[in-house]
Amino acid sequence: MRPEPVPDAATEPMSVSGLLGMPVDLGAINEALRTVIDPELGVNIVDLGLVYDARVTDGRAQILITTTTPACPLGPYLTDGIRWALLKLDGILDVDVEVTHDPLWSPDLMSDSARQQLGWRG
Amino acid sequence: MIDRRSLALLSLGGLSLLAGLTGALVLLGLGMPTATTHLGTAHGLLMVLGFLGTMIALERAVALGRTWAYLAPLGSGLGAVALLLGAPPTVAGALLVAAGIVLVSMYVAFDRIEAALHIRTQAVAAIAWPVAALLWLAGRPVSAVVPWLVAFLVLIIAGERLELSRMGQLASRARLGFIGAGAVFSAGVVLTLLLPDAGVRVAGLGLVALAGWLASHDLARRTVRMGGVTRFIAICLLIGYAWLALAGVLWIGFGSTGGAAYDAMLHAIFLGFVISMVFGHAPVIIPAVLRVPLPYHSRFYLHLGLLHAGLLLRIAGGDLLGSHVLWQLGSVLNVIALLLFVVSSAAAVLQELYQRRGSQPRRAIPTALQREAVRSTEHRS
Repeated sequence: MRPEPVPDAATEPMSVSGLLGMPVDLGAINEALRTVIDPELGVNIVDLGLVYDARVTDGRAQILITTTTPACPLGPYLTDGIRWALLKLDGILDVDVEVTHDPLWSPDLMSDSARQQLGWRG
Repeated sequence: MIDRRSLALLSLGGLSLLAGLTGALVLLGLGMPTATTHLGTAHGLLMVLGFLGTMIALERAVALGRTWAYLAPLGSGLGAVALLLGAPPTVAGALLVAAGIVLVSMYVAFDRIEAALHIRTQAVAAIAWPVAALLWLAGRPVSAVVPWLVAFLVLIIAGERLELSRMGQLASRARLGFIGAGAVFSAGVVLTLLLPDAGVRVAGLGLVALAGWLASHDLARRTVRMGGVTRFIAICLLIGYAWLALAGVLWIGFGSTGGAAYDAMLHAIFLGFVISMVFGHAPVIIPAVLRVPLPYHSRFYLHLGLLHAGLLLRIAGGDLLGSHVLWQLGSVLNVIALLLFVVSSAAAVLQELYQRRGSQPRRAIPTALQREAVRSTEHRS
């Protein structure tokens, strides 16, 4: 998968897949991913810019994430959190999470909301 | 599902912790059986490389995700077992040196992915591990090994905190400040090889500078205003920085002629700074390495409070005022805090696993018709 920013649920509620009577749109995926919080920072992984890509095919969610540094051991922790959050959604049958460091994460990927929460000025 | 490989390695670290704590009780002169006397001698190595080293190496192995990386926690864990069993020092020493070299190799691998100051700071820390083990193997006194053990832990943690501080809009001037503080500390530690007294004092200056830098730039200053586990981690960190600064002052003031202050010079760092950090990060790291949930509970403040209260009693009442009873009492509280930490964390894991048994997220099994419907939907707009 090629890293791309996850569209904002508020502006791009794209329908990506679904089961009969159980549509799964990217907005729902996005909102579910926002419930996964980096415990150290108290900020969700979407606003931290840790989610590079999210898509759903045949009820299977494929999520590409990163960690803020390759030496960070939180990959499995976030993977479990993502699986736990997405499997609660109707229409999601399985979740694959891949962790990559290509490209490397940088603070530029943080949303304005995350910056505000972490006390950025200007 | 629990990661059994990590569980086995973590168990070696846990065994080392229990042996190290037994060694602590021996050093406190609490009438422990003579069969445990050797654990008193090995207390420092068991706690720093056996317990903390195994934990840290396991964290990094999980992060790197390569099989060979797990040789680091395996080596330190087995080295601790060798110490525990009273095996010849060459066996334990060789295992500990080898484990340290594997950790250094991990940082070479990390550096190839991300060549950054925070990675290189931790790489320097990793180098201090095998140096400490080699000094011990060469029969150097514990006081000569300790600065390297401290360097391993302090620089690893400082590197980690530097990495996270990037999320707080870190200015380039602040990075230079970090480099300066780290360089002074590292230079002091190296100097202890030739001039122990001067080296310890210079390293102390670096410790004060690092503590000041961390207290000024760590995100914990902001996240302490949040709630739950985030606030708990921040409180653990901020208290730890105060102990690190105190330790630095003691290193500057007493040098290698610590005497009664020696106990305070070491434990302000190992317990006040490092173990406080371990308590804070356990709810994050344990789930990361074991793949089991460890939800935060407010009761975690109990072992944190016992740790710092015990340390205060030990240093103020025991080391400063010279009361042997208060020194013993404070130290026993430290041991209890660590044991309570283990029990409380294990209980939180088991409690959560029990509760989750009945509330697994529903995973629908699609019918053939549903599968067909899904295939016909678009992949992504």
